[in-house]
Amino acid sequence: MAEKVDVVIVGAGAAASVYAAVLAEAGKEVRVLETGPARKLEDLYSSQISARRLKWAVPELLEAGKDTIWFNYNAGRGFGGAAVHHFGVWPRYHPEDFKERSLYGRGLDWPLEYEDLRPYYDRVQAEVGLSGDTEAEIWRPPGDPYPLPPVPVFSHGRILARGFEALDMNVAAVPLAILTAPYKGRAACTYDGWCEAGCPTGALANPLVVYFPRALKAGATLQPRSHVTRVLTDAKGKLATGVEYVDDTGTRHTLLADSVVLAAFTVENSRILLNSASTPHPDGLANSSGLLGRYLMTHPSVNIFGLFDEDMQNYMGVNGGQLFSQDRFNKVRKAGPFGSRQWIIAPALKPNDLLGIAMTRADLFGPDLQSFMERAARGLGTIVAISQDQPLPENRIELADTKDAHGFPLARAVYAASADGLGLWNASVDEGQALIKAAGADEVWHSPRGGQHIMGGTIMGDKPDASVTNAVSQTHDIPNLFIGGPGVFPTSSAVNSTFHLYALALMSAEYLRDNWASVVA
Amino acid sequence: MPPRSSRHADVNRRSFLQGTGLGLLAFSLAGTQVLLTPRQARARGADFKSLGSGEVLTLEALGEVLVPGAREAGIANFVDQQMSADPNESLLMAKYLNVAPPYSDFYHAGLAALDRLSNVQFDAPFVELEQEQAVTLVSSISNSVPDDWDGPPPPLFYLCVRADAVDVVYGTAEGFAKLKIPYLPHIPPPERW
Repeated sequence: MAEKVDVVIVGAGAAASVYAAVLAEAGKEVRVLETGPARKLEDLYSSQISARRLKWAVPELLEAGKDTIWFNYNAGRGFGGAAVHHFGVWPRYHPEDFKERSLYGRGLDWPLEYEDLRPYYDRVQAEVGLSGDTEAEIWRPPGDPYPLPPVPVFSHGRILARGFEALDMNVAAVPLAILTAPYKGRAACTYDGWCEAGCPTGALANPLVVYFPRALKAGATLQPRSHVTRVLTDAKGKLATGVEYVDDTGTRHTLLADSVVLAAFTVENSRILLNSASTPHPDGLANSSGLLGRYLMTHPSVNIFGLFDEDMQNYMGVNGGQLFSQDRFNKVRKAGPFGSRQWIIAPALKPNDLLGIAMTRADLFGPDLQSFMERAARGLGTIVAISQDQPLPENRIELADTKDAHGFPLARAVYAASADGLGLWNASVDEGQALIKAAGADEVWHSPRGGQHIMGGTIMGDKPDASVTNAVSQTHDIPNLFIGGPGVFPTSSAVNSTFHLYALALMSAEYLRDNWASVVA
Repeated sequence: MPPRSSRHADVNRRSFLQGTGLGLLAFSLAGTQVLLTPRQARARGADFKSLGSGEVLTLEALGEVLVPGAREAGIANFVDQQMSADPNESLLMAKYLNVAPPYSDFYHAGLAALDRLSNVQFDAPFVELEQEQAVTLVSSISNSVPDDWDGPPPPLFYLCVRADAVDVVYGTAEGFAKLKIPYLPHIPPPERW
């Protein structure tokens, strides 16, 4: 006979941690099923090489579009999900991000406004201990002051800030989910730049140190190596009844639940729902709109590099940078692409890996690479532009013909960066090179286009025929099925997605808690 | 000589995970599993699981052209050890670069294509090329698809092997020290690799 719990949460990342804490503390029996392994802080070794274990690989995502979404690099696997290796850059969405269709006739509107979400931003930042400079951050939407002072600025940040000053641009400390002082029993950061490898001190707010500890204390259970394949429903397809999952041995199990929260990141959420097709839902679960999997987005990003004849100390700080600028956040300009841009200044660097020093000049090898490494270890500086992507229905997650080891179709991404996103990226390349030159670099170059954060696929909206969930991440079609994570974002803004998804998850989890009887009835 | 406990460590899952954090991986020495760095594995003649002896030489030669020091740092031992690993546990950069698992197919095909190209262009396998010839050939695969290439996209193969070479030479505490970068680990390695 199948086990039964009150709530099953699929995935053990950021959104899952919030749902688990809120619902377990409300007395619900909560089970979190995670595809990957159990993971503890002491498993997080300071090495870019071992950090690769934190990332996704299989079931693999197939890609058929013009551009890649860098899924394996962005996604996570194991307890903590992608948030275990995220950089902790936590700016807020701006009020206009929620109303782009209404204000500008572009993109989509959210089914909520900034003021609806503001209290949740404030509560999350108080819970995790956000650091920042409330006064210096002149672009910051209304909200409670940061509970912790900003991160220190080292040589790398100070030198690059000269470029912004020369071009009359404002900078402020990056708002970071990284402790600058002891907070709620967690230690302060030591600024050694190992964030991507996971932070074993707990200074960076990953789910292993925020929300999941509350959930576990309240009785929630985290179950590793349990790969969910389908969401199950009653015969009429009106309510979710649980999930089917496969364990490490390949054995299939059913876990029944009064409510299901899918929080398995953007791609797997869409894939699981598409694979949950049934007679009442022939095109996939929660897909009466036909838009499940659609509006896939990623932030077009570029690193601008410069070699300086100064000791940059580029190994100091955190991977999320020391300073940032939102002077280019205005969405409409006289000419040029629509949307926002944001600069991140002076992220900590390591010699190897995708964002490491050696990869900044992938064309070099042999003695040329050797001499570059010696010079760059001392004098390389970098800034990163994050550009807004546009929600386009043709960018999508769909099912492929190829199947995984358990017989379920793999996901396939069909994605091409939006024209506006490409225009913003080009503008960033030009401006970034000018900024680095103005800071005093001898040589300036830039990276190929990358993609940061993955959003969409299960977007929220007011209308059931134009979106998958409502404002509280509840699917329009199945009232006891909720979605967690950046998949519900209908627009991307130009800010990192983690703070936003935490705030949305808190709002949605509390809605589920407070409306339990009607939701599961 | 290392202490007996490290020479004959039990390679259970926990010690394996700890080892990978320290740069140690499970290698086979005369049929016995031991935790070693790739550099140690090469120096002690560890067995290869996936690569043939010719492939080992080709990969070492290519790695050395890409990043001087990669041969002795154990690039072939590192890649070989990871080729047969569970892709989700893989430490190869190929994982980030959209190489479809199993990664062994990618390396076998890439190394074979490199040798074929070398034979067509210089009438000799890659390991027998003069330095200048090897550099010419590597340059050609780094940014184009040579007519006689029959394997995975050559710039992708170049990028992956270059990343492997960078990992074993610079991605270690020893590599950091060579560049005068403080390693600053939260969990300090007990030895450099």
